[in-house]
Amino acid sequence: MGREKEKEKLSEKALNLLRSRLSDPNFIFRPLSDSPDSNYSKLKFIISTSVTEACNNSILLLGPRGSGKVAVLELVLSDLLQQYPEAISVIRLNGLLHSDDNCALKEIARQLCMEHQLLFSKVASFDDNSQFMIAMLRECGLAHKTIIFVLDEFDFFAQGKQRLLYSLLDAMQSVNSQAVVIGVSCRLDVDQLLEKRVRSRFSHRKLLFLSPSKEDTERFIEHILSLPMDSSLPHNYTAEFNGRLKKLLSDERFKELIDTYLSFNFTIGHLVRFLFQAVSYMDLSAGFLSLGNFKTALSSNQRQPKLECIRDCSVLELYMMVCMKRLEVKEQASYNFYSVMTEYKSIHDSFQTSDYYAANVCLRAFEHLLQCQLISFIDNKGHNQSVEFRPVKLLISSAELHQGLKSYQQCPAILLKLMDR
Amino acid sequence: MATEESPQVTRRATRSYSASNTAIESTNLPESYKPTINDLGFRQQPLRLEDLLSSFPGRRSQILELLRLLGPLNSPMFPILVYGGPSTGKTSVTLQVFRHLNRPFIYSSCITCYSPRILFESILNQLLFHRKDSGHSYSSVKRCERPSDFVNYLREALENVLTNLKGNSGKVSSKMSGRPDGTMVYLVFDNLERIRDWDKSSTILPFLFNLNDILKMPEVGLIFISNTSPDTYYLNIGYVEPIPLYFPDYTEDDLRHIFMANQTNSRLYASFLDVVLRPFCRVTRQVDELAAAFSSLFKKYSEPLSDKEVAPNEEMKRRLFSHIRPHIASALNETFQVRSQPLLKAETNEETKKTNSSRMLGIREDFDKIDFHMSTSAKYLLISAFLASRNPATLDASLFDSTGVSDSRKRKRNCAYWKNFKYSPRACYNLTLEYMGI
Repeated sequence: MGREKEKEKLSEKALNLLRSRLSDPNFIFRPLSDSPDSNYSKLKFIISTSVTEACNNSILLLGPRGSGKVAVLELVLSDLLQQYPEAISVIRLNGLLHSDDNCALKEIARQLCMEHQLLFSKVASFDDNSQFMIAMLRECGLAHKTIIFVLDEFDFFAQGKQRLLYSLLDAMQSVNSQAVVIGVSCRLDVDQLLEKRVRSRFSHRKLLFLSPSKEDTERFIEHILSLPMDSSLPHNYTAEFNGRLKKLLSDERFKELIDTYLSFNFTIGHLVRFLFQAVSYMDLSAGFLSLGNFKTALSSNQRQPKLECIRDCSVLELYMMVCMKRLEVKEQASYNFYSVMTEYKSIHDSFQTSDYYAANVCLRAFEHLLQCQLISFIDNKGHNQSVEFRPVKLLISSAELHQGLKSYQQCPAILLKLMDR
Repeated sequence: MATEESPQVTRRATRSYSASNTAIESTNLPESYKPTINDLGFRQQPLRLEDLLSSFPGRRSQILELLRLLGPLNSPMFPILVYGGPSTGKTSVTLQVFRHLNRPFIYSSCITCYSPRILFESILNQLLFHRKDSGHSYSSVKRCERPSDFVNYLREALENVLTNLKGNSGKVSSKMSGRPDGTMVYLVFDNLERIRDWDKSSTILPFLFNLNDILKMPEVGLIFISNTSPDTYYLNIGYVEPIPLYFPDYTEDDLRHIFMANQTNSRLYASFLDVVLRPFCRVTRQVDELAAAFSSLFKKYSEPLSDKEVAPNEEMKRRLFSHIRPHIASALNETFQVRSQPLLKAETNEETKKTNSSRMLGIREDFDKIDFHMSTSAKYLLISAFLASRNPATLDASLFDSTGVSDSRKRKRNCAYWKNFKYSPRACYNLTLEYMGI
């Protein structure tokens, strides 16, 4: 009994270690950035030259979501802050939060104040904030301090009038300022969205973040999931864990599994999430990762939500969907609750089914279908009308409906027959 | 199970009635209560795992999966999306899991917080231990409308709470002092599908799904609960999706377990379920609707029995079945409406499970309760007001325009539009009359 508890405690510690590693972007992207031609080194070179040579610069980091753009940027910035502690200050903006110019300037002013221990006034107007920012840029330039602006979700800043971008880039044109503007975005064509005057002030430097090659991915997985030898866990447990892990990783089935997953979601971020799920399913009493964990994680990611919804429907709801399908086949482009009810009644009259219910019960079933998003309203304009009169459309194809009916337990045979007609 | 709720009062009750009615319990806390960090945990006795698993029949694998994804104490997590049909137990399972784990969490539902400002302020109130009371004229601790302000305030509040928790974890064992465990805070967002109907949904939804990346605090865990599946949330900016956790609807066996719990005469109820469960399951499988239907039907079923405690044998079962049989068909066609006032006190738990879909029938019930006299002209006025509020403005213009139709295109479009509906204004009028019981 005591040994089991101990083993569980050990595996819990190992689990904790692995989970915190997988949630820490710094740990994940550092090994990928070690080679000299990686994006990390290029970015570091660009920013450090701007800092040392006191010039302005701008750069875009582009790549699909989860490829580590912000993580690599943070690594670079933390290294540079250690190297030049007094010469850099970082302002971080996010397009989801600060796409409005007022908001953005307020946030810039607030971060500048926090950095330099000044008092920030919440009631400062837009003009005050922008003058403050320009003054700070000038002062920092004179003091040989570089301000680095990180604009996350850059495509949101490129919506609307792009006033903020223009004022930032314009302020950088003056002789005294030393600033670096780094834009991070998932849209690869974000520089096409910029206005002409903004684009002319923007240097067309871009860094593309692509997913690593297959060998790199395999090496990465092994590196992430192996327990370090010098942790507080006992040596023989760690050795056995790593040994089993190696055997698992070289297994053909595991490679197939990873390939399947990566064919849908090919970025490091998605892979890390998948590994996190698999690690969480680790059996604590055994204490080692097994192929079953990864299989469960894969199957939970490969769900088919609409089929699941159909499986959850009651028989009456299936009837209604089959009625709608038949109406579609009869070339009726839009239908509402009452037309479905007439079709339902005609089915009952011709086939004498036992499942005939009153209108209000059917209305509840209809609303349940709306809630599951198996059907939806055609337009949003009819809010005044009640649910029964608004036209709806089916959101699943007839193939999916057919498949759902087949996999439904105790599906009435009549429905399958009706679908086949 | 969880917190008990005071019995709901219907809309018709006057203020003096609710003040004098001693049946209404006072709310749990007096007015001047100041929340503390202990309120971030569940304020009741922690559950053991066996109790948790046994109180949710049919949900064993989901509970275990949720426990695995949340992980051991102080372990960071990726955001989770719990989804499934209505009344499948998502919210209750999540809350009871937190009760079992005794970890601090913040719960906010997008039904009660129906705009971004209210949502943000409710979360901040809970984190800053602020309770809205008459002293501050029911205002929140901070005014927060925009996501940018929310993120700044949230960071500060979370840092305070986390230092508090870290300080506590070094001291007395938390089981004795009733404090929540650990140094992580979990944010639970319930009824996420409501956000899709908000005005600002195109900014709020991406913001919430990316909140994990924006905050960059590994001590914060996010859990989203939704009635609709993840594919209804696909946004064009994309995000790394939260880990999905699916709650399927209950099977018939699970429904049987659920209804058999807490029954005084289990064998009688078992024979009742044998009769009614299968036909009702063809119509709906939601627990709240079935519960409302079964409670009234069970009363009818046990009517002929003089002794309610008896365990029925085959002969009795057959007789009871023939007694109840004509009622089943009619009960199937009745909507699963919640009873009105007289039964309300006995069935308070059904009231809370009433879904918004019963509003159509709710109207019918309210009109049953009109006990003042209306003249015929007043009734006609009421009908016309109802029709006028339902018709779209273009239809009114085309029907009642005295100079004939102003735009021939409008007429063509209106005709085509209404043709498919198979009703004319006259039919709608008749329908309304029927519906209102006049």
